[in-house]
Amino acid sequence: MPAHSTDPLLHPEVRQASILAYGAGFVASTVFMAIALVITLGRVLPYLGLLAAISALAMLALLAQVVLLFRLDLSETQLWKTVSLALVIPLFVLSIGLTGWMFHTLYPRTMLHFMAVQGSGSMM
Amino acid sequence: MSLVHLQGSWTPWLGRLTLSVILYHNGIVDGAFVFAAVTGIVILGVITYYRKWGYLIREWITSLDHKKIGVMYILIGLVMMFRGFIDALMIRTQQMMADGPDSPGHLQALHGYLPPYHFDQIYSSHGTIMILFAVTPILVGLMNLIVPLQIGARDMAFPYLNAVSLWLTAAGAGLVMASLFIGDFSHAGWIGLIPLTELPYSPGVGVDYWMWAIQIGSVGTTLGTVNLIATIVKMRAPGMTWFRMPIFTWTALSTNIIGLTAFPVLGVALALLGCDRYLGTHFYTAGLGGNLMLFTDLFWIWGHPEVYFLVLPAFGIISEIIPTFSERPLFGYITMVAATFAIAGISWSVWLHHFFTMGAGPDVNGFFSVATMLVGIPTGVKVFNWAFTLYRGRLRFDTPMLWAVGAVFLLLVGGLTGMMLAIPPINYTIHNSVFVVAHFHCMVLVVAFSIFGAIAYWFPKVFGFRLDEHNGKRVFACFSLGTFLVFAAMFALGFMGMTRRLDYLADPHWKPLLIVEEIGVFFYCVACYYFFRMLHVSIRDRAKNRVGADAWGTGRSPEWIARSPVPFYNFAATPHFNALDEAAWRRGQGLSDVAPRDYEPIATPKNTIAPPLIGALAFGFGFGMVWRIWWMAGLSLIAIIGVVILRSFATETEHVISAEQIRSMETTGSSVGIVTDHISPPVAEAEAFL
Amino acid sequence: MSGAQPVLWLPGGEEHDPIANKTFGFWLYMMSDALIFAALFAAYGVLDHRFNAAGGATARQVAHPVDAFWQTLAVFASVLAYSLAMVKLKAGSRLGVLLGLGAAALLGLVFIGLEIADFASLIGQGITPERSGFLSMFFVLVAVHGLHMLFGLLWIAVMMAQVALKGFTTEVVTRLLTLRLFWTFQASIWVCVFVFVYLRGAF
Repeated sequence: MPAHSTDPLLHPEVRQASILAYGAGFVASTVFMAIALVITLGRVLPYLGLLAAISALAMLALLAQVVLLFRLDLSETQLWKTVSLALVIPLFVLSIGLTGWMFHTLYPRTMLHFMAVQGSGSMM
Repeated sequence: MSLVHLQGSWTPWLGRLTLSVILYHNGIVDGAFVFAAVTGIVILGVITYYRKWGYLIREWITSLDHKKIGVMYILIGLVMMFRGFIDALMIRTQQMMADGPDSPGHLQALHGYLPPYHFDQIYSSHGTIMILFAVTPILVGLMNLIVPLQIGARDMAFPYLNAVSLWLTAAGAGLVMASLFIGDFSHAGWIGLIPLTELPYSPGVGVDYWMWAIQIGSVGTTLGTVNLIATIVKMRAPGMTWFRMPIFTWTALSTNIIGLTAFPVLGVALALLGCDRYLGTHFYTAGLGGNLMLFTDLFWIWGHPEVYFLVLPAFGIISEIIPTFSERPLFGYITMVAATFAIAGISWSVWLHHFFTMGAGPDVNGFFSVATMLVGIPTGVKVFNWAFTLYRGRLRFDTPMLWAVGAVFLLLVGGLTGMMLAIPPINYTIHNSVFVVAHFHCMVLVVAFSIFGAIAYWFPKVFGFRLDEHNGKRVFACFSLGTFLVFAAMFALGFMGMTRRLDYLADPHWKPLLIVEEIGVFFYCVACYYFFRMLHVSIRDRAKNRVGADAWGTGRSPEWIARSPVPFYNFAATPHFNALDEAAWRRGQGLSDVAPRDYEPIATPKNTIAPPLIGALAFGFGFGMVWRIWWMAGLSLIAIIGVVILRSFATETEHVISAEQIRSMETTGSSVGIVTDHISPPVAEAEAFL
Repeated sequence: MSGAQPVLWLPGGEEHDPIANKTFGFWLYMMSDALIFAALFAAYGVLDHRFNAAGGATARQVAHPVDAFWQTLAVFASVLAYSLAMVKLKAGSRLGVLLGLGAAALLGLVFIGLEIADFASLIGQGITPERSGFLSMFFVLVAVHGLHMLFGLLWIAVMMAQVALKGFTTEVVTRLLTLRLFWTFQASIWVCVFVFVYLRGAF
């Protein structure tokens, strides 16, 4: 029988705790978010450029959290968590992306009021 | 943020509940009420008379045994299926009667016997019940029963969570049933036609019943999917490698992945509607920046995967039954697994075909159309695999096999009409016609056929005796004939231009086909009769129909190496798997009767009252929210949290059965199946209930 | 093969790892929870449009990125405190775990307090969820995350009691591990809320 069946503190998921990784995870995600804040407030990028930049920074922060805070990897302990996350990520893309695409094409074709707003561009 | 102001009376103690909502002036509802009340009193009386309350509570309601939970799921599903069938009968009868301007009216209806508002509630509850409270619980119940047996596990990964899922589903079903007598049900279709479900257009409690019943039931289903995935990934016995897993377990895995990821979206769609109805927000309203198309989009992001959530386990069932009664291994095991996951994957990018006509751009419709047609490829692979399994097989047409083959034929009809509907130009022509209704009923009846096949197929595994073949075949014959008559006529009516959800039909030329449909429904009624008769005869003559471990003599998957009826600990010793189709392999090697030499103590979870309590409180929460009885909803919610926290402080939640006890139960054959007169050991000693 | 009897039944008991089963099961629940947020973000993407503001406040008027950054710091620090408690768990220090959980709860309360203050100031300006489809979406999306935080705080309180009363039993350790997943997950969701609601909205 494995040792952790008698002492739960010997379980590999307890043993993986590490000041270094957790601290690095905190610093990395904070720094990425701080950069995103600064470039947003600085207004140095056009809208699409800004969106791409802050999205990339969000992805980096999430990646740092996945690796350093959740400690996901392909080890026996974490394998199935990693696999399930990898299977679910495409669903985020599909559900958000296809919904966005659908409404993007739907609005101009169905909403007269929408077109009027687009045309005048004055409504805030 | 404040609560929406409602018209009508409201009191702090009873919310919107008044005596007048209970006392109807409608003969049909009164009849149903009297019927249900009498049935309920008789059942409670019988239980009391035979002093079975203790037995029921100890052995069933508080049980954490996956088999008992599975059986209870199936019972809930069958009861709800019967209710949903009565709804169908009423819909068909109304449409047959209310055809043409000269058709007479009865019972306050201008035509037929159901006023429009009542008719709308009936088709809404028919859809809601059949999909979410009949077929879904039955399939979840079957997976609960069979998956642990197929992978050589003693129980699910989380037995306690399993019971919570069951009782939440029961709470949802209970709310639907309560709506029959207290207040009314939604009249906006099972899909919640928007903005009809918004407060200004549906100021009553019907939509709230619909919303909370689904919401509570689907929390239960989501928790169940967590449990089944964890069980399949983590609880497989030694030797049960991924590619030795039976196809039913594979389909259970894929279907639960779909359920896990799709149900939350339904939860969001309904919760936002709830915000609109309770808090006065503007998610789906027609004015003030709401977007009613958003509801349709979110609903079908769940809705289409849900279709595959239903049909994939059905495919698994067919894939288990056909090899057993063809006496051949399943043709193309690997392609079957691949096809299962291909369907599951594509299921996430086809939802828009439910609203091609909404007006999205041609590129969007094109994308979803192609994605929808892609589903035909893996499904075709499955159909050919089944056909090649049958080819040169030694076919035996026992009841389960009849259902399975019937399901394959229905799948062809439903699938090919689905391909037609996947093409947007055709869809623009026939959308919202009863052609669509006939199409998806063929698909859902694939599931129903598989379910009846599965019940006949696995019944002896769980209870130790077979169902009566004679009556079982009659059920199949009547059910199939009914299906053919109703839906062949309905396809034709669709082409003739009949649209969905009509309480009155203007065209008298439809009458002959509507009468054919009514005759079909009559055959369904006969099938119902034979179903109850089958149960009665089977239980009466159970001694004649006792079976051994391998109930059909040609079973292939590992559940057939466990004893029949399955003892509460499933396997006396942990099985070790050596091949795909372990039971067939052991039979081939002459090892079927080899019993374990040594036994080890087995730990089983103790019973607990917490899950049924949570279910009852969830019902209280839902009921309180529906009637806006805030104290009731609030207290129930706090109590649920309290029960969960209290339970987390419980110690010694497991009971250990010694190796000696197991040896004696195994050798004397007294080890208990799930229906028994003795009290099974873990229950006898479970004193701390919570 | 040469006549060797195949193994049909194993004499030993099952060797399942209850801790790993539960953390995996909880992870699955979190995937499902993540899809709740995916649906909410999809809906936000649809309703975040001038048309849906219906003449009321737009994202630019409700999203204050600097205020939200303080919330970001609070939730990140809270997760860090919880993580350090897990390092103490490795050493078997009850006091260390309790202190870490307490600090995490305190920082979580700071987060909730900032959010409530933000909401209160918006509502004070007449910017309410009932005003428009966009505002409904904004408030509900942020509040759903806030409710998760509140739920996590309740759970932390229960776990502090269990650590104090029961010590590090298998159940308690399992729950500490799953709660860590849940709490860290809130930080991940907040990254998306911060970037796609507060920063994107501020443009």
